Amino acid sequence: MNPRGLWWRAGAFAAATLLIALLGAWLLFGRGRSPIQTDLLAMLPATERNPLADVAAQRLAHANGDRVILLVANADDERAKNAARALGKALAKDPVFASVTAQLPPFDLQQLAAPYLAHRFTLLTDADRSAITQPGYDPAQALAQRVNEPFDIGVGTRLQDDPFGWLQHWLDQQPWSRSQLLPEDNLLTAHRQGTSYVLVTATLNGSSYDDVIQRRALGVIDAAEKAIEHDQPGTHVLRTGALFYAEAARAGAEHDVHMVGWISTLGIAWLLLGVFRSPGPLLLAFLSTGIGVIAATTVSVLVFGQIYLLTLVFGAALLGEAVDYSIQYLSARANAGAAWEPRQGLRQVRPALWLALGTSLLGYALLGLVPFAALRQMACFAMTGMTMACLSVFWLLPALLQRPARPLSAPAVRGALILQSTVWRAASGKRGVVLALLLLCFAVPGWHQLRHDDDVHLLISPPATLAAQEAQIRSITGLGNGTQFYLVQGADQEQVLQREEALEQRLQGMVDAGQLQSWLGLAGMVPSLRRQHANLQALAPLFAQPDRMRQWLAGAGFRANDIDAWLQAWPGTPLKLTAWLKTPLAAPFRYLWMDGNASHGVASLVLPQGDAPGAALQKAAEGLPGVTLVDKAASTSALFGRYRRYASVWLVCAIMLIVPVFGWRYGLREVPRVLAPPVLGIGFTLSMLGYLQQPLTLFHWMALMLVLGVGANYAVFLREGEPHIAHRPGAMYASVLLSAVTALLSFGLLALSSMPALRDFGLTLLLGIGFTALLVPTSVPHRMLSP
Amino acid sequence: MLLLFFVDVCAHAQNASPDLLNNVLHQLSQHAAVRAAFTQQRQNPALTQPQTSSGQLLFVTGRGMLWQVQQPYRETLALTGSRTLRIDASGHAQTVHGDRGVSQISQMLQSMLAGQLDTVLRQFNVTAEGSAAQWTLHFTPRQSRVAQVLRAIQLDGGAFLQGIRIDMQDGTQTDIRMTDTRDAGTLSAAEKQALGLP
Repeated sequence: MNPRGLWWRAGAFAAATLLIALLGAWLLFGRGRSPIQTDLLAMLPATERNPLADVAAQRLAHANGDRVILLVANADDERAKNAARALGKALAKDPVFASVTAQLPPFDLQQLAAPYLAHRFTLLTDADRSAITQPGYDPAQALAQRVNEPFDIGVGTRLQDDPFGWLQHWLDQQPWSRSQLLPEDNLLTAHRQGTSYVLVTATLNGSSYDDVIQRRALGVIDAAEKAIEHDQPGTHVLRTGALFYAEAARAGAEHDVHMVGWISTLGIAWLLLGVFRSPGPLLLAFLSTGIGVIAATTVSVLVFGQIYLLTLVFGAALLGEAVDYSIQYLSARANAGAAWEPRQGLRQVRPALWLALGTSLLGYALLGLVPFAALRQMACFAMTGMTMACLSVFWLLPALLQRPARPLSAPAVRGALILQSTVWRAASGKRGVVLALLLLCFAVPGWHQLRHDDDVHLLISPPATLAAQEAQIRSITGLGNGTQFYLVQGADQEQVLQREEALEQRLQGMVDAGQLQSWLGLAGMVPSLRRQHANLQALAPLFAQPDRMRQWLAGAGFRANDIDAWLQAWPGTPLKLTAWLKTPLAAPFRYLWMDGNASHGVASLVLPQGDAPGAALQKAAEGLPGVTLVDKAASTSALFGRYRRYASVWLVCAIMLIVPVFGWRYGLREVPRVLAPPVLGIGFTLSMLGYLQQPLTLFHWMALMLVLGVGANYAVFLREGEPHIAHRPGAMYASVLLSAVTALLSFGLLALSSMPALRDFGLTLLLGIGFTALLVPTSVPHRMLSP
Repeated sequence: MLLLFFVDVCAHAQNASPDLLNNVLHQLSQHAAVRAAFTQQRQNPALTQPQTSSGQLLFVTGRGMLWQVQQPYRETLALTGSRTLRIDASGHAQTVHGDRGVSQISQMLQSMLAGQLDTVLRQFNVTAEGSAAQWTLHFTPRQSRVAQVLRAIQLDGGAFLQGIRIDMQDGTQTDIRMTDTRDAGTLSAAEKQALGLP
């Protein structure tokens, strides 16, 4: 191919890149809503075999997702209340909130009971039902107890509408009556340890994960908080809601992207400038990786529809591996000196690059097999990015690098040579065997200390202050935790409610035993028709002889016309779920009901409240048909554990996959020598992690897979490159070290990330790439080594 | 539904004689555990005649109250701040769900009798009249929601609390008179168990 052909190919490649970049820009910025996904929950894999369970988990996570809960605290009651009113007013002024609730609207307590009067004989508490069905039940005494009850204040039902108090008792156990917050001065208030807490809630006019809304809402809340803390001294505000978690996650990831991205860019720039002694190669190296990252982002958004924050952070680090290809080509050019010819150079590095790309793609393809959206996206991102970076070396760089360059900086080459010959000498012959045995002795105790950890908080670790505030708000307000719930499924409404009742009987047993704070479920508000029918049956004997009932009531002092009206109301009508769900009272609980489709039937959610151990909650669901405990955190942790166990097998498989590739290229007898550096590097890394008391996670294993890929690259580069530049000893190893240091500068910096998973990932790469780069000179046999 | 009631008393709510109120509270707080016989009379407009019940009560500061009805039926209620238990003849306790109104009145009385002026009533305007030897405290709700239902509460007594009178907006009146009030002395095992004491 002549120079003109080079230019044609480069032009075509540049045009294609431009098109991809334009497509990427449109996908990212041109469609209104940003496809960058900040919702960490969305990143979690589908954990449940039951598809409805995942839908339910998402529904629950988002039921409160757009709601902000603020608790205004002050030791002075009046100040707390004034502050809450002011906060409510300040928030209500801004259109970013669809609604703000601080002051309760005036309402008539008595009217709450009115809609239930028609159903007063079908709604009974468990306690009343069991009392009534006792053989010795004495209605006359029950009436006497009711009318003499100490401190009975008769709110809810009027005595003559509910002489025995059955409906009253039932209403008393409804969730809106059990709230730990009491209306005071038209504010929902709680008092703990001499401090008054006042609840203010707001609903966002959009999603918590929407960039614009997030910033605006936080700005308004921060400003309002500052104002009330100034006006009402001693006030502080507790906050919780998806808004704050989303913001923290975004800030953490942005911090990581910026820090890792900038430090690695600057570090790589400084290194390349120092070694190549000219800014041209530096720009070309960045151009090549830039093309890789742009193409990777575009393809990821195209394939997945959105891009996770985790992928972007990982992408910032990927720069360090993608830059290897151009470094190899640039080194070849620098080492060729005046004899440089771009096509000749390309022929020289091509086998190494293909081999390196091939092993990397194999490694990432394995990662892509994990059924976990975030990991798949990272694999897709990496494979696209590496391929494009490599192709840019083949097609774009030759045209831009037609003139010869200055040789690599001499001190760098000299340093590399010293290191290379030291390692090589130490590792050859008997000395090598002894050294290997010594290192093995050192490594074994480390391996023995390895443990593992699969906790979901590796991925989702909200700032401790937010978690503490949420816990405090939960203990004061009794609002549920939302990560554990029961999914109750059935063929129709009636079956679901019956199954819920079976579950709730067990949960109530746990509440009575003090194991659980409470529970929230629809069957507690609308019993099944079977249960309502049973209630009527329980009452029926009392109404069998109306005269006898009349006598009891008259004996207790009730008036004849009230008795008539009450007897005429018997038996009333059952309360139907569909009708109840439409009432305003049901609005806060509607999300508990899931209208399924033909294949899934219908389902409901039951929320346990308070901190019960997962095993106890699991036990409550045992043996109940249609009832599943969904514990997103626990099942994600279990999934992590499963893949962590598979990951070690994968690593062995990946090594097995590389063996034939290397065998084909170098001969089977040489395979151990070429593979030794990455494999030993992985072994020593594991040992170090043991010494560092780092429990192994899925993310450590993912990093080790990368170490294998990168380490194999280095062995290949050295092995392939050495014969071509025999005239410059050390120059090839210098370029490998350059690759290693750039990788450490990017991946290694992840060790400083705010996300534990990325921290583990970074640390493992730091160790693994470090060890491998040190060991890699041993992959070149003596006869190939320059004298 | 018994959304009501009263947790803590207002340092800021008295309209009159804060000294007398302080004295009365101090006086009441001298007795950590008190026994009395009670008679409760209730008039409800829905009923043709007033209802009367009587029995014994035991009040333990900081723990709650045992309310033992002996006439016209036998029943024992344990009112502790957080929940209400019904205790049958064999000593078996059953939780009475959701009787928050009852629990909170019992809490209010506890705060009152324990002399916790700061925490006695946030929800009431309180006035005091009489002398330390014979006093009357009037409570009127400050919360409109409570005031929709409850008109007023009146406590009277001397060294001990002697009477409680509760007036509801629907015309119901409850009048509790306490006689033979004395320091409780040692508590029986059953009493301790009912109140959750060690």
